[in-house]
This record gives sequence, C-alpha cells and structure tokens, in this order.
Amino acid sequence: MKKIFLFIITLVLLTNVNGQVKKMGTSHSQKALICENCHSCSIPTKENPCLRDCPRESIATTKQKPEEGPDIIVINKLKGNQDIYKEVTFSHRLHAEMSEMSGGCVTCHHYNPPGKIIGCDNCHNSSRKREDVNRPDLKGAYHRQCMDCHREWSGGVECSACHQLNTKSPSKEKLITGTIKKSHAKLETPEKITYKTPKAEGKTVVFFHKEHIDLFGLDCQSCHSNDGCVKCHDQRPASAKPKMSVELKHKACSSCHDTKVKSNCVTCHNDKETNGFNHLISTGFNLNSYHSKLSCVRCHTTPGKFTGLNKNCNTCHGTWTKEKFNHKVTGLVLDEIHLEFDCESCHTNPTYAKPECSSCHDDYTYPAFIPGKKVKR
Amino acid sequence: MNKSRRNFLKTSAFMGASIAGVASTKTVKGAPKNILSDDRMGVLVDTTVCIGCRKCEWACKTSHNMPTEPIEKYDDRTVFEKRRRPNANALTVVNEFENPNGKFPIDVKVQCMHCDHPACLSACIVGAFSKEENGTVLWNGDKCIGCRYCMVACPFQIPAFEFDKAWSPDIKKCDFCFDRTKKGELPACVEICPMEVLTYGKKSDLLRAAKEKIRLYPERYVDHILGEHEVGGTSWMYLSSKEFTQIDFPKLGKNPAPGVTEAIQHGIFAYFIPPIAIYALLGGVMWLNKNRKQTEHGEDE
Repeated sequence: MKKIFLFIITLVLLTNVNGQVKKMGTSHSQKALICENCHSCSIPTKENPCLRDCPRESIATTKQKPEEGPDIIVINKLKGNQDIYKEVTFSHRLHAEMSEMSGGCVTCHHYNPPGKIIGCDNCHNSSRKREDVNRPDLKGAYHRQCMDCHREWSGGVECSACHQLNTKSPSKEKLITGTIKKSHAKLETPEKITYKTPKAEGKTVVFFHKEHIDLFGLDCQSCHSNDGCVKCHDQRPASAKPKMSVELKHKACSSCHDTKVKSNCVTCHNDKETNGFNHLISTGFNLNSYHSKLSCVRCHTTPGKFTGLNKNCNTCHGTWTKEKFNHKVTGLVLDEIHLEFDCESCHTNPTYAKPECSSCHDDYTYPAFIPGKKVKR
Repeated sequence: MNKSRRNFLKTSAFMGASIAGVASTKTVKGAPKNILSDDRMGVLVDTTVCIGCRKCEWACKTSHNMPTEPIEKYDDRTVFEKRRRPNANALTVVNEFENPNGKFPIDVKVQCMHCDHPACLSACIVGAFSKEENGTVLWNGDKCIGCRYCMVACPFQIPAFEFDKAWSPDIKKCDFCFDRTKKGELPACVEICPMEVLTYGKKSDLLRAAKEKIRLYPERYVDHILGEHEVGGTSWMYLSSKEFTQIDFPKLGKNPAPGVTEAIQHGIFAYFIPPIAIYALLGGVMWLNKNRKQTEHGEDE
C-alpha cells in the first residue's frame, strides 16, 4: 500500500515537473535574455509579471518576414458613436516590406517580446481617459507610428491620406485598397554608386556598395538602420528638402572612415572614377596565397574599423616562436640542421617572405636549393 | 443748503461702506471655490509630438458652437505664415515655428493655461472668474461688467473681448471644456488630437510623466516643464525641444502673477490710510483755495 502511495506521489511529481519543463520550453524564460530588461522584480509570476514600462530597444525581439504578418489590417478598434472618419484599411505587408530598410518589424513593434509579435493595443489603452498617462493611448500610438514617415514623405499632415470622412462617398476607398495587392520591388544590392559633388576638386565619389558587403563584411543594418521611405522616394521639390550639413552628408561613411581629417579626402574624392579596393595598392601589403582567402576581420579585429596593421607577422601571429611554429604549414618540412636555427637567420625580411641562404652558403639560393623536403600544404 | 449737503455726504458714506461690506462678504463666500484641489486636472502638451493638423482648433469651435470652416479646410498650412493669438473667434490656435536642426517644424498649441493662481481672477473687480475644483479657470458672463482688467492682468494675454459686439460683448477664453468635463467627458481638443499631443490627467500624474519623459529622452526635450512653476504653476503644461522663449512663450518668474498686483493694491489700500491721506490732502487744498477766494471776495467788497 505504502509503495503504491509513494509511486503515485512520484508520478504526480514527475508529471508536474514534466509539465513545468514543457511550459518553460515554449516560453521565453529559457532563452538567453536578461530578465531585468523587462521585469522589475526578481521573481516574476504570471499573476504579477511586474513588467517594466515599455523597455523598447533593450527588449529581445522577434524577427519575422513581411509575408508572415497579415496582408491588411482594418483598423476599427477606435470606433465611437460620432466618428468623423471611417475605419482605416492599412496595408500591413506593404509597410512591413518598406520597413525592411529601417530595421524591420521593430520599426513599429518596438515592444516585441520573444515568441510572438504583438499588436499596439496590447499595451496602448484604447480609451484616452485612463489612469496611466505614461504611455500614449491607442489613437496616439497609431498616429505617432504613421506620421513620422508620412510627414517626411509628403511634407504634409493631411488626414485624408489615410482616412476618409464619414460624410463622403467611398471614392477614396478604391485608392487605399488599390495598394493592398501591391508589393515592394525586391531590393537589389548595387555594384557601385557614383556620386558627383559640387566641388571643383575631387568631384567624383564612387561608393563600392557590393565591396563593402562582400569584402568588408558589413551587413545592411550597419548603414541602413534608420532609412525611411523618403531615402529613395523623395517627392519633395529640391527647395523643400532639408539642407544637409557637411557632417550629415558624410555621416554614413564617418563611422569607419575618418572624414574630419583633410588628408583623408582623397580616399574617396577623386577627379575620375576609381577602381575598387586593392590591398597591395592601398596598403602595400600583398595578400598572397596565404592571406587571400581570409576575411578582413581575421586580421582587422576591431569591429567596423579597418585601421592599418603593422606588417610584421607577429602582429597577428604573435604566438609564433621558433619552438611553436610548425614550418610544415608553408609546404616545406625543414631538415634537422635547419630546424635548429632562429627564424631570422634565413628570413632576414620582416615579412618572412623569401629566405636568404647567403649568410651561410656562398652559392646557394632559394628556391634552387631547399633546406628540407617539399610537401603538399 | 448746508444741511442737505451734509445729508448727501452721510448717505453716500453709508452706501460706500455697505458696498464694501457686501464685496467683502462675497470674497469670503467665494473663497472655498478658489482653493486649489490636490486632484485638479491638467493637460500635458508635448510640442515635440504635435504635427500641426489643427484638428484641436476645429473641435474647440465645434464644441463651443462657434462658426467654423469644414474640417477638411484645416489641412491648409498657409495659416502658419502668420503668428496667431487666441481671440474672440478662436479660443485656441496652433502656431508653427521653424526648426533649423530638426526634421520637422515645431507646432505649438496656445490657449488659456488655467493658472493655479489666476491673475485674471485676482484682477476681476466683480468676481466674474473662478478657479474650479478640477483646475478650470472659469469666466461667468452674468457678473462681468466688461472692464477688461483680466485682459491686462493675464501673463499669457489670453482673455479676448468681443469688440465687434456692441450690446452684449463677452470675454472669450478657453474654458477647459467645463461643460464637457462636468459630464465626465474629455476636453474637445484632447479628445480629437490624433497624436495625443495633449495628455489629460491629474496634474500630479502629468508632472511625473513629464519628468520621466525628460529623463528617458534627454536629447529630445529641454529640461524644463513650462507650467510646473511659472506664475505659481498652471494646469496646462508644456514640453519642448527648444527653449520656450523661442516658441513665443513669455519669460515668466515663479511667483504667481496676482502676488505682484495684490501686493501693490494691498499696499495702497492698507488700513485705508493712503486713500484717507490723499483725500485729506485734496480736502486741505480745497479748504485753502476756498479761504483764499473768500479773502479775495472780501477785498473786492
């Protein structure tokens, strides 16, 4: 009897534990997240999650593809008795595609806990008369999301761009629903972009777009983190466009290139179109057979910065010593005699390129005579 | 003749005293209404959010049964070319200011600030203004005699007079939609604002929210809540990305505006000594003149 009782208890306990594990597995608590980013207390419970007010950027985010979200959303959550405007048909997918250049879902869904992307009304109260005035109500939240881009795009704030008056006939409806089926054209990475500056000297700037991605390992977000639609679709006349300061014009480049030093101008500003990046010409260090396949960051370890390195091998290969270096990796196994010498005895050149035999052997030269056995690398 | 003159003086003196008496009892009666409630409401105006759609202007006019253009007409932005002030035909207006370093211009809604210590209330000689429990500074048309002292007293130059009405001109100013808030509704401008530039709530809550905003986004706001301390505090408070003098707000001290005027008034009328002194002086001059005239007459004879 006692045994059976014990068995039942263990069974209950086990199922309980199992259940808990299962629950934890589907929730976010097992992911590598910092609890304090979202919870203000040390042990949050379901009843009292003690969630912080909109942690925004610090919250872990879920990324979805535009097609995973809804195509259209009819915004009618704010319907009242005496509405001036009709409900709004929002082309969600089209906007999601547009947001790809400016940070994806988080552009709008700034509070975005892992698991599921949540809508505005999860946090923003649909009633303007409320206790918590720290965050905008739903109406405010909606409009604040839209207006930043729309205002920049058109320069205006006309309500009629999205809303139609309740008193008007539904002629505008077609226009709004007409955009729903549309899709943003696929964005292709340009090879290079040539800019013409108004300066007399160094008029031409060629930006090697593909090179910056493939060779320098930048991802889209490192430059396109906050691009609105207007970056490409600027419909304003030249006079209405904001005047950019010199600093602002160089902003995209200056996080890697020092654009404040005058002598650096020629790196990008030239009279004629330049060729792409060549390691030997630009730095004097030839990426020969050993280094050609490496990605830049293997040597230039500071993220986002490609500052010059000392050409001595030990700058990168700091741990190489006579004892530690296995000469076999060069395709040559040294014979017993030569293995005893210091590296510098033969490699007088700091780049450890061709060895010199003449310090010991009068008439030997490399590679006619080899101090060992050649092997396949 | 002498006797009747004395009688006249007597009656007028009595009347004056009784008027003073009535007036003083009235202020005593009116006082509890004008005490500040801790739960008074307010509005926090975040000028960094405002897009200048001017729907608040439309809602204000509509809810006050004032003539207005249809709502679509409010998209016209040429009105911003001129700097506007609230007047008898518009209790609130939005002005737009250039913002050289920002993405967008700055739009600022202007209306009565509903001061905690209203200068209009203090200046009004008939008690036509009251500070209501919910923070509203209310004008009462029945009492108003149209002296327009309130217009002079207001540090924000808000009360407007219907100069075009000859027979029954009113003082016009934002009434914080007192008729709506009484019924538990929101002020019309607050309700319509698409961006919730205008946050309606308890003044204490709003101040806390405003301070939190400044703490979280120090690059977005100047560290100043207009109306927290200005002229003793106001129910409507503003946040801005620029110094407030740059968006047309007057530079104001922390002392309530009535403090200055009341100090002068109370100084002048303290214990009635200065008025008595000036009347004594005038009386003396008259007496001297009279004596001289009599002697002149005497010489003629």
